[in-house]
Amino acid sequence: MIAAIVKKELLQLRRDPRLIGLIIVMPIIMLVLFGMALKLEPKNVRMAYFDEDHSIFTNLIKTSLWSDGYFDLYQVNSTEGIVEEIRAGRAKAGFHVKKTFSAELIENEQPHVTFYVDGTMPSLTTAMKYHSGSATDAGVTNGMYFSDADSKNIVIADEPFIMDTVILFNPDEKETWFFLPGVIGVLIMQIALILTGITVVREREKRTLEQLLVTPLSKTTFIIGKLIPYIFIALLDFYFILGAGWLLFDLPQPTSHFLMFVLAFIYVAVMISLGLLISLFAKTQQQAMFLAIFIIVPSILLSGFIFPLEAIPESIRPISNIIPFTFFADIIRGLLVKHTLFIDLLSSYLALTSFAVVFTVASIIKFRKTL
Amino acid sequence: MISAYNLVKRFNGNIAVNNVSLNVDKGNIFGLLGPNAAGKTTVIRMLCGIIKNDEGDVKINNMSVNKAKTDFGYVAQHFGQYEELSVWENLKFYASMYDVHDKEHLNSLLDRYNLTPYKNKRAGLLSGGYQRRLALVCALAHDPKVLFLDEPTAGIDPVTRKLLWDDFYRLSTEGKTLFVTTHYMEEAQRCTQLAFLSQGKVVAEGTPVTIKDALGEVHVYSSQTAYRPDIHKALHNLPGMILVNQFGNELRIVVEPTLTQSILQETMNSLLCDNCSVELVEPNLEDVFIALTQSTSE
Repeated sequence: MIAAIVKKELLQLRRDPRLIGLIIVMPIIMLVLFGMALKLEPKNVRMAYFDEDHSIFTNLIKTSLWSDGYFDLYQVNSTEGIVEEIRAGRAKAGFHVKKTFSAELIENEQPHVTFYVDGTMPSLTTAMKYHSGSATDAGVTNGMYFSDADSKNIVIADEPFIMDTVILFNPDEKETWFFLPGVIGVLIMQIALILTGITVVREREKRTLEQLLVTPLSKTTFIIGKLIPYIFIALLDFYFILGAGWLLFDLPQPTSHFLMFVLAFIYVAVMISLGLLISLFAKTQQQAMFLAIFIIVPSILLSGFIFPLEAIPESIRPISNIIPFTFFADIIRGLLVKHTLFIDLLSSYLALTSFAVVFTVASIIKFRKTL
Repeated sequence: MISAYNLVKRFNGNIAVNNVSLNVDKGNIFGLLGPNAAGKTTVIRMLCGIIKNDEGDVKINNMSVNKAKTDFGYVAQHFGQYEELSVWENLKFYASMYDVHDKEHLNSLLDRYNLTPYKNKRAGLLSGGYQRRLALVCALAHDPKVLFLDEPTAGIDPVTRKLLWDDFYRLSTEGKTLFVTTHYMEEAQRCTQLAFLSQGKVVAEGTPVTIKDALGEVHVYSSQTAYRPDIHKALHNLPGMILVNQFGNELRIVVEPTLTQSILQETMNSLLCDNCSVELVEPNLEDVFIALTQSTSE
């Protein structure tokens, strides 16, 4: 009898070609994608520098940081500029060389170089701190020891200059500050996609869609009417999760509650409309679930939520840019941890908004008033 | 009131509905008759605009289907109201789809179909008969001119079936046009106009009385004989035999005129010891139904 049930289940599965497709195609796509994308070595991390010294020595330091390909250097005009670049998200690191660097170096006074890193992403912070060490490699520093030609070699300081590291925005490198804002987005994504992902399929399976289609109801009315209640519910859920984050994990307050609300609203609208689109493509609830997972997993891995975007190869990077969650993670970290200015978040806000519009319009187009 | 011209529908290259034309006048109860898979549901769905016809045209009240949506109501074959909503919530929802908000009207509809005691009961918890009434009430909320009913009494007990049909007559006297699909002869008998669909084609049309002519020149015989496989076999092998059909102790035989009463009598007497009588009778709809289905599938 068990054999009969096993056989029946296998037969049923075999006759759902779409599901078979998902079972086979999904892991392959994911495997290739992640095999290519998931590296913990960041590359071309944007680094803003402010060099007041302009000497051959500072050039040596810059070259050493640049030559390994870890850092992508560009110049700013003040230390505040470095902090602003990092706050805005244009740079993830920076360094400052004071005007007196060469002078102090020559006098063997061990000048200080300040290295700034963005603390919002602890894994990246660690990697950056590690790679900045290349600035103090022997190859760089060999030419920086100064002694009188006449005197014998004397023991001088171990290193010609000292590198101070300043961690910005999350000085204690709290992992929760990094993860929690993103986790809110992941939870909302899961809830929204699964909640809405089945809404139309369910009507189809329960045959209520048939009764609905004979009514004069328009496509747009149907889609908008489906979106509104779920957006409302997911929005409540968003604040419920955020509130729990504040209560339980001492999550910082956002720079602006209004901007936070706008983010919550747009993000929830994106996810609900995406869920609806899934529901229109899937023929069964099972397929809808698979499609939701197919979206959720890469969203988590390729959005810069866990692995820094800088560690994702250029060839895969466009995928990160079509994942709405990438922009959400960027904005919510900016609002909660980095206190980024609105103007620097605007492009991410606009990107999220366009996702919501595209998904809603696609849903209206995809929805057919026939069975 | 309902006109369909040369409707064609293919599914994956297979023709499901083949050049169907129908015309239903106001106030009629039109029965679309046919065996399973004849294309009845496909036709009714095309008439309601929820399946797009590949060819042909549909007019309801002289308008295209999409323009006529407020003029008709549709009750699908399977229960399609929201199980989680109560009777009243379902009715209000469907009424709102047509911009109808007259509570008095909706309450009177519930009353008329004896649903008032179940007003606050979840639709999913209703029995099959009451679910059917709810579906009907939801389709009538906007007082449509035309009502499409896909197998309205499938799986319904005879008492409820009678109640529903009493109501269909009432609706028709109120001037509504009803379009019913069925494969129950008893139900077909109640229609004022019939079309017989087989393998996607209309093979016969008329009233319950005249549609019998579709069989052409045939004779129907009846005999009081219990079921015997050998008799069935012997009769089947006779040239000119159209149909042998057993109803309890009654054997009904549809034959071409060339197969005479005496041949039948002889065949049966050779197998049965006692003399049984074979009488010429009037064909009923069941004979027509089965004979037509058989002849068109051959």
